[in-house]
Amino acid sequence: MKKWLSLLLTLSFAVAIAACSGGNGNNEPAPSSSANSGSNNSASEAPSGDNGFVDGKYTTPITLTTVWGLNENAAIFKEGESIEDNVLSRTIKERLGIEVKYNWVVTNTNDAYKTKLRLMLSSGEKMPDVVVYRGDLETVNMLIDSGQFMPVGDLVDQYANETYKKGLELDPAIWLPITRDGQKMALPILDYAYNGDHVMWVRQDWLDNVGLEAPKTIAEMEAVMDAFVNGDPDKDGQKNTIGLATGFKNGFNNWMTDIGFLFGAHGTMPGQWNLTADGKLEHGSINPAAKDALAKLKEWMDKGYISQDAALFDETTGSELFTKGEAGIIFGPNWLPAWPFPDLQANVPGATFKAYPVPAGNDGKIGSAGGNPPSNGYIFINKDSKHPEAILHYYNWFFDNTANPQPGSEFANGFAEGYDYALLPDGTLTADAKKYPELFPGLKEQTAPPLFYSLTYEGARIPTLYADTHVKLASGAAPETPYEKQEFNTRTKENIDAMKVVVDQKDIRMKNYYMGPLTETMQSKNELLNKLLNETYSKIVYGQQPLDSFDTMVDNWLKSGGEQITKEVNEWYEKAK
Amino acid sequence: MESAINEPLQQQSQISRNKKERNREKFSRTWPLHLMLLPAAIVTLIFAYVPMGGLVMAFQDFKPYDGIFGSKFIGLEHFRFMFEYPDSKEVIVNTLVISGLKIVFGLIVPFVFAILLNEIRKMFFKRVVQTLVYLPHFISWVILGAILTDMLGSKGIVNTTLNSLGVETIPWLADGDWFRFTVVVSDIWQNFGFNTIVFLAALAGVNPALYEAAEVDGANRWKQTIHITVPAMIPIAVVVGTLSLGNILNGGFDQIFNLYNSLVYDKGDIIDTFVYRTAILNGQYSFGTAVGMFKSVIGLILIVIAYRLAYKFAGYRIF
Repeated sequence: MKKWLSLLLTLSFAVAIAACSGGNGNNEPAPSSSANSGSNNSASEAPSGDNGFVDGKYTTPITLTTVWGLNENAAIFKEGESIEDNVLSRTIKERLGIEVKYNWVVTNTNDAYKTKLRLMLSSGEKMPDVVVYRGDLETVNMLIDSGQFMPVGDLVDQYANETYKKGLELDPAIWLPITRDGQKMALPILDYAYNGDHVMWVRQDWLDNVGLEAPKTIAEMEAVMDAFVNGDPDKDGQKNTIGLATGFKNGFNNWMTDIGFLFGAHGTMPGQWNLTADGKLEHGSINPAAKDALAKLKEWMDKGYISQDAALFDETTGSELFTKGEAGIIFGPNWLPAWPFPDLQANVPGATFKAYPVPAGNDGKIGSAGGNPPSNGYIFINKDSKHPEAILHYYNWFFDNTANPQPGSEFANGFAEGYDYALLPDGTLTADAKKYPELFPGLKEQTAPPLFYSLTYEGARIPTLYADTHVKLASGAAPETPYEKQEFNTRTKENIDAMKVVVDQKDIRMKNYYMGPLTETMQSKNELLNKLLNETYSKIVYGQQPLDSFDTMVDNWLKSGGEQITKEVNEWYEKAK
Repeated sequence: MESAINEPLQQQSQISRNKKERNREKFSRTWPLHLMLLPAAIVTLIFAYVPMGGLVMAFQDFKPYDGIFGSKFIGLEHFRFMFEYPDSKEVIVNTLVISGLKIVFGLIVPFVFAILLNEIRKMFFKRVVQTLVYLPHFISWVILGAILTDMLGSKGIVNTTLNSLGVETIPWLADGDWFRFTVVVSDIWQNFGFNTIVFLAALAGVNPALYEAAEVDGANRWKQTIHITVPAMIPIAVVVGTLSLGNILNGGFDQIFNLYNSLVYDKGDIIDTFVYRTAILNGQYSFGTAVGMFKSVIGLILIVIAYRLAYKFAGYRIF
């Protein structure tokens, strides 16, 4: 009897395990069948003859198939709603006659969406009408190389509205990463421009304490840093401050705690491909100008202007030098007052900071990394799609209606009441779901901005809008449109002023001109070359190697594959430009 | 004569038949136990053995787009690349030095510590110490890395203390040799608690009669330690040492990755961090697989050798 009991237990356990593993194995083919049926559906429902898009709407509703990865923002749904059926999908269906159908949806943790997309590609599955991807260029390339998607150049000319076209024309380089043999293979999803470009943030209270003006040149900056190190700018009677918060653990051209401006002041930009005077691309780290910049940086290290641990710090840990009140200058984007500067105000009550233009070199040279095209993600259109233009109508609609709604228009307050906003009895606008949970029914004390459900991630963003708004507000004008009001209410004055500094200096940006996939030699040699560069750079700054080892490094770099990579990069540029 | 020859043969076949029968009989009694083992065996098969099929990637020019079955076979190309790569020698030497030091000191420190702890008669104090030294084992290196970078920086608590004692600032993480020192010491600090517990368990098994007898013979505490405690711990030390030899090519990725920087590449870059940068960051999955396979093979060979040696010299079998 006992024996039988144990046998039964064992069997049921084994079956359960088999079922689990079997289930995992079966999961993969499932999407393919639904993918096929999905595209069949759209084929059968498609109206014959003309596109059927009349007066901003498909007269016979069409189905657009896609796949989707839910990110943190878009994973908040009202009770009873989902990505397939929500206030946005219903609005789109009603206004545009487009029904978006999801062949599969994953929660995008640990790049699950990317993994599933790649699995689809590697198993040769048929792609849905539209695939949207925001992420690494390798996956973008795999999507293009699959040959399942169509060139979009003509579609854009024919169907894109003025706002989208203008955004694209802002920088023709936006097409470079997705151009193959002159054909544009995907639609860029636009994002706000200039948002990553740097300004020089200076502790204003320190400047006042040492009685100096904000530096405009590297020489003046050295004088300020000297005063910050030796002049006791924090008035605590101790010599415990440094000049510049920087960290080059990840390289010498960073998104925050940047040191690239010093190279820019000598005429190059390390860690990226710069356009030289003769129209060729060159790796900025091996330009002779970098040697002078390194000599300067070593001098700064010896004089204590920068931290002795700079090589140990990445961007975040490096910024702590500034937020702890140890350093007086930091280079970074306009939005640092939103993060991480609140830490500074917590650590050093009364600390003030202000954005200033990036300083110029002693012979007038100036440069800072940035100015990259304002795209963030791509839309791929299946070449077998019955309605390849549908996604453009979709995107246009967001540009027209939600990107920058005018006061009094339908979406002026937000997308939908009870989702991303609510009106109080006295008519004022609120988005505080914690305070007024009853105004956001079906949501657990949080707002659910429906625009995040859109295929284009956040509806539509007009690249220049962010900068234009800030420049306008910085000049003292009153906010008028809902977008201006929102920015005015949520951004600090320092932030808004910083954006004006960025825009005033937009011509000094040094773009990374190589936007293609990793070339063959890059794949095998990038590691070796980057290690060589970073090791030599750091050791020169720390005085562990003489300055002249820069020249040996350049020779080695060229010999160990750098020459070949330069060739490949220029071949790509010739084809893409 | 003939029968005399045949008889033993017949006997033998009789015996083997008996044995078979006995086995069958035994199996008929124990088969539910075997069946209960089956799920575990299946799970091991699926999760430990089937993925080994992925090792073919090491001999392919693997492209995610083509998959394992579509990618081209290129033989030992990746292994050739690995040994011809200019930095390979440096990286392998670093790994051997760092993990060698970790293994040696990672054995000595808990060995001595366990003996010292064993001499403590206050049970409560012993337990508390035992738990405290074990605790760091559970802290992730992501956190420890940040803590150490802060503590060991030029203005960190360690250097400010040293400075106030008149010692110059030490570049714990910014100089190759000091970096190795920091890595080995912090690794032992983090992990010696675990082996201490293993050794303490071995000590608990020593027959108290041995100590009593030694005392009667007039052996003092030190003599007792040398002649009873240490010999009793040798076999378990051999086991611990043998098992850790399999890790000789693992320098400790999490630790190095969270502590290293471009200044210490020449002394601190190990195989795993190197593979991370080449294979993962640059999408060279085949190369990463090849290095991983190389590491596993060397590790296996070392374990086998150490196992034989342990048996030969310490008379100890693990398996």
